[in-house]
Amino acid sequence: MMGLSFLTPAFFIGLVGLAVPIIIHLTNREKREVVAFPSLMFLTKIPYRSVRRQKIKHWLLFLMRCLAVVLLVTAFARPFLEQPGRAVASIGGARQVVILLDRSYSMGYGDRWARAIEAAHGAVDALAPEDQASLILFSDRAVVANQPTSDSVQLHALIDDARLGSGTTRYGPALQLADKLLRDLDLPRKEVVLITDFQRVGWDGHDEISFPSGTELRTVDLSDGETSNVSVTGVVLEREPVSGRERVVASARLTNKGAQVFEDIDVELELGGRPLREKTVRLEPNSSVTVTFDAFTLPEGVSRGVVRTSEDALPLDNTFQFVIWPGQSVSVLILEGPGAPSGRGLYLRQALAIGDRPRFGFDVKRSTELSRADLRGRAAVFLNDAPPPSNAAAQLLTEFVESGGGLVIVLGTEGDSSAWEGAAAGLLPAPAGVPVDRSTDWGGTLAYIDYGHPVFELFSSPGSGDFSPARFFRYRPLVTNGSVRNGKTLARFDDGSIALAERVLGDGRVLVWTSTLDTAWNDLALQPVYLPFVHQLVKYAAGYAEARPWHSVGEVLDLSRQLELTGSESGPGSAEVVVITPSGEKTFLSRQEDRQLVTLEEKGFYEIRYLESDAAGPLSLAANLDLTESDLSRLDPEEVKAAVSSRDTDGIQTAGVGTPVDQDRRQRVWWYLLVAALVLLAAETFWSNRLSRLAR
Amino acid sequence: MRGSRLNAEPTDSARFLDPKALEKIGNLELLARTVVEGFISGLHRSPYLGRSVDFAEHRAYMPGDDIRRIDWRLFARNDRFYVKEFEADTNTSFTTLLDISRSMSFASRGISKLDYSRYLAACLTYFSSKQRDRVGLVTFDEDIVDFVPPSAKHLDVALHVIDRIQSSRRGALGPPLLKVAEAIRRRGIMVVISDFYEEPESVLNALKILRYKGNDLIVFHILDPAEIQFPFEEAANYRDLETDEAIPVIPEYLREQYRKMVGEHIQTLSRSLGDNQIDYALFDTSTPLDFALFSYLSNRERLSRVR
Repeated sequence: MMGLSFLTPAFFIGLVGLAVPIIIHLTNREKREVVAFPSLMFLTKIPYRSVRRQKIKHWLLFLMRCLAVVLLVTAFARPFLEQPGRAVASIGGARQVVILLDRSYSMGYGDRWARAIEAAHGAVDALAPEDQASLILFSDRAVVANQPTSDSVQLHALIDDARLGSGTTRYGPALQLADKLLRDLDLPRKEVVLITDFQRVGWDGHDEISFPSGTELRTVDLSDGETSNVSVTGVVLEREPVSGRERVVASARLTNKGAQVFEDIDVELELGGRPLREKTVRLEPNSSVTVTFDAFTLPEGVSRGVVRTSEDALPLDNTFQFVIWPGQSVSVLILEGPGAPSGRGLYLRQALAIGDRPRFGFDVKRSTELSRADLRGRAAVFLNDAPPPSNAAAQLLTEFVESGGGLVIVLGTEGDSSAWEGAAAGLLPAPAGVPVDRSTDWGGTLAYIDYGHPVFELFSSPGSGDFSPARFFRYRPLVTNGSVRNGKTLARFDDGSIALAERVLGDGRVLVWTSTLDTAWNDLALQPVYLPFVHQLVKYAAGYAEARPWHSVGEVLDLSRQLELTGSESGPGSAEVVVITPSGEKTFLSRQEDRQLVTLEEKGFYEIRYLESDAAGPLSLAANLDLTESDLSRLDPEEVKAAVSSRDTDGIQTAGVGTPVDQDRRQRVWWYLLVAALVLLAAETFWSNRLSRLAR
Repeated sequence: MRGSRLNAEPTDSARFLDPKALEKIGNLELLARTVVEGFISGLHRSPYLGRSVDFAEHRAYMPGDDIRRIDWRLFARNDRFYVKEFEADTNTSFTTLLDISRSMSFASRGISKLDYSRYLAACLTYFSSKQRDRVGLVTFDEDIVDFVPPSAKHLDVALHVIDRIQSSRRGALGPPLLKVAEAIRRRGIMVVISDFYEEPESVLNALKILRYKGNDLIVFHILDPAEIQFPFEEAANYRDLETDEAIPVIPEYLREQYRKMVGEHIQTLSRSLGDNQIDYALFDTSTPLDFALFSYLSNRERLSRVR
């Protein structure tokens, strides 16, 4: 038997249009004409009824109009006759089954994982001998565990080997992979078994996936009706130097995503594997609370910390790991001219002394006395208003910069511009010009600042620092023909002269400030922006970046950069790095590679050791879960089914059901409906006109 | 035909003149003549005995009698004075009191109540004039609009006034009829033509004044068929022609009650007027005019002989 289906059933919403004839037929009778009557003497004595029982008067006309609407809507819904052939084709034959098993960490809620394993085994047991099946394990990424096979023993083994992951749920990649597998193999029947807890966060509905026609998507819904979950969503560490040591105040944020009240939750702070602080809090439904622990003194070296709460149905997100690095220091050498007055570098020294994140360790030396030993272990060098260095000193500085160091040249008052020659000139991004005197016009200002550059990025937001009050009475501009060598201009004065320029030299960089960093030529040192500006200048020149106390599962880290950040670089002897995951798995990386990339796939502490090296102890990294997964809101499985249902009209052809001519013939019904509707509308027009004439 | 109501449907419409056909006759006198022609003359008698061609009786001469009325032939035969007495049947006053308030301008289809009343008044006036009566006319709404005193020479004036009447104001029976009673002191026949949209009691009070002055009162109640049957279907706002007040009306809910109230109003009017010896007749505007007149006047004549 042929069944009737519709190509665009959404048009049935047009049946709302049936209300139009109903309204016309009912309300038309209520229109209020004015009828002149000799006297209302009797009418006013009769109790008035304002609402009349609505009755349809011209039933034939009404039915014609309704029928016309129904026919039009049905025609636009494009009805077609389904042939039984397709169904017959899907009844028999070997099946290709793809089992999608969700291993995101939310599957660790209660007994979901056990039920998932059981359901996967059940799907394998249901396979016929001629069926082919594949297993896909997915969380935020999907992995094909095996190629299609009929070997149920292998499939059972793969399912047993599957482990719960630390990733979040994403259905898109898994469904796409399943689609690819289904299209690769040409078996008459195709089936996808989706075993998951149907988390709303895993489905954004934007994935363009359409399974081959005839594919059956069977869902195994492991979600629980009512869920409650407490998770530690983050830790804030406030560090303060006290008596040469650091005191840390740790605050943890707890979230309850459920309707259950949690009374007396124990929250524990561990440091170095030992319990340090403990608190008890109450957590209301669908709310968060911040727990602040008492301050503690940071021990020497790297400390691993964990915030832990009481166990609940989803224990994986009940702990939060972090690593506290010892306070980092940026070593700076300030070079001053041989005859420089003692107060010349006062503002700069004071500014560097104030910094604590990071601390700046600095030494002051005469530029003429610079030796190679002075530069060892330095992150940045300030050539502060000193005469141009000699060739030998310039050579040392060039080597220092090329090996990754940072040099800040403050041109200032000392020396002659023409003295910047030879190796010294090679440090500058452009030749230094003669000083410009702006004292006659109340000084110049900074007119252009590249707020996108790391030096000025801090000041880009409104109200975060204003350079405009600073007056520059003299400066020594760089002479350029529009561009600087291997670098860029970061700031200009209001006459267009360069105020700050950068030159990249080897692995390092040279920054040139064309005025002074004290009050000799300008009053910048008296402005509030001076201190952060100097700090940014040094941090950028030194290539400083703060090491993060924790990372998220799924992140890919460049290990060499991480080692730099944490100051854990080894000596030249180490050739290999071994990464030990929280589960104890070891991965070896060669240090010869440009980038040593590590994907953090597990929650917990990663350990990184150097082989064949006598360098400092291992590097620790903390990886925490992506807490979007802690939201256990449920997705309706039908939504997924509807999204992946086949829109592949070719599938009908490949199933041998009919030719395009047949399809066209079966879809032609809408045309007849349209004609019938038009005929009906013509008849309706005739009949309504006739009724109107009769009424007159 | 006291207290009776004429049938809306004439028995033989060919015999009678359809009001719609009469509407086409522009000349009111011609119209009246057309309707009245063929009527029996002398259907009513004068309330006075006087000089006339119709001898009534002899009586003995009394001092003060006009000596010209002494029958000298009878004196010659028996030597006694006798005077002749005649029935005075041609010298009564006939006044038409015509309501021209705005409610009278209503017409559901065909002619309006005012036109129907106008034809009726014209016919009666013409008819009475042919009877050698003095004819007068009063048109009124809430006050007297036109007043033509009764006179044997006022036929043309009365017909002219009837021809140009217009309804413009709301109506009230009491004040104008009181003024009429004061203005016309001579007794006569008075015909009141109105739709009587007032409470029966106030209608009676207004008419009683005329009746108590010794007038022979005839009341013609003119209604449109739609006012009696209320045949409307569509819900609408119904506006009072006189007050302009409007109310929403759903006819199917009100029709039965309306008909009942109108029926009761007519019956009350008929009964209470009859009790006060006032002739009452209900005409609807679809009734042929001559049929209505003939039926009414013939009945009246029959009853007056009994009376």
